[in-house]
Amino acid sequence: MNACRKAGLAHFALTIIGKDRPGIVADTAEVLFKLGCNVEDSSCTMLGGEFATILIISHEKPFSKKQLEVEFAAKTAGGGLSAFIRTLKDDEVCYQEPTGELCLVSVYGSDKPGIVFRITRELADRGVNITDLNTKLIGSPAEPVYVLMLEAALPQEMSVEQVSQLLENLKKELSVEISVRLITPVSL
Amino acid sequence: MAVQRILLYPNPILKRMCRTVERIDAEILQLVEDLVDTMEAGPGSVGVAAPQIGVSLRVCVVDVSNSRHGKDNNHGRLLMINPEIVASSGNAVMREGCMSVPDYTGDVERATEITLRFSEPDGTLREFVASGFEAVAIQHEMDHLDGLLFLDRISSLKTGLFRRKSYK
Repeated sequence: MNACRKAGLAHFALTIIGKDRPGIVADTAEVLFKLGCNVEDSSCTMLGGEFATILIISHEKPFSKKQLEVEFAAKTAGGGLSAFIRTLKDDEVCYQEPTGELCLVSVYGSDKPGIVFRITRELADRGVNITDLNTKLIGSPAEPVYVLMLEAALPQEMSVEQVSQLLENLKKELSVEISVRLITPVSL
Repeated sequence: MAVQRILLYPNPILKRMCRTVERIDAEILQLVEDLVDTMEAGPGSVGVAAPQIGVSLRVCVVDVSNSRHGKDNNHGRLLMINPEIVASSGNAVMREGCMSVPDYTGDVERATEITLRFSEPDGTLREFVASGFEAVAIQHEMDHLDGLLFLDRISSLKTGLFRRKSYK
């Protein structure tokens, strides 16, 4: 990622979450458009009955967090939506993308406490960097099933087989299914 | 040696349907050579299609023999003029990236086995079955000949698995 073209821009992380309804993204985008902000990166999704938007936005300097706060305060005043804004430092904007293999870990089984914690702790302790993660409670109320899917960048020397091995013990302990596969993009 | 610059989207040539090669002449042979040189120059590149170097003709090259996914299952260096897929079966998803669309990747569903027909630079008509990563690479390069990028084929959001279930 060419981060250096971002010099001269002020960057902010903006998260907005509220009860889902049509128009949350449009309302947010309208405010940003009118302020002259760029949406550099974003991920928005429904979580339960909430709609969550996470955006990295930029604006030519000078531009202050205050200006964003004023506009979003007006938008969220009616209730239902909450907004959070954080100013990003240059070293947060000009980051180094992970370079190791990318793998997908899928975990599912009867719901029980600790699935997310145990899996992610095991990975974190080995320097595995989660880049994306989703969980969902599915199944019937009588037999709830927990599903966790995550994508992670491995440290330079680590293989997918090693990750599989690493999580093997948790399969028994948590009585869940765990599979790991390589999803490093192919360059065509 | 004539390594060409890879055109990046939004260059309009990348979205154009390429013309069929009517006659294999010196110009076409030069084009094939340029495609090979450009493929070899790209780090880890396994294929280049003519529109990626600015030529709107149905010519592409693929060689997965040095790649980790294709090294055990390939037909070597393929120099394809007017390639056609005459049959295909199976499907599998792979996360693809493209030299013409840098910094972005997406999951694309492709046939796992294709029957391919094309003319060699010497005019010989060749037909064979390709599978695995070689088949994916061929389909990706052939899409360029129809003005399609992997962005036109992304099969689902990364989180698509969860989105089919409705809330109760």
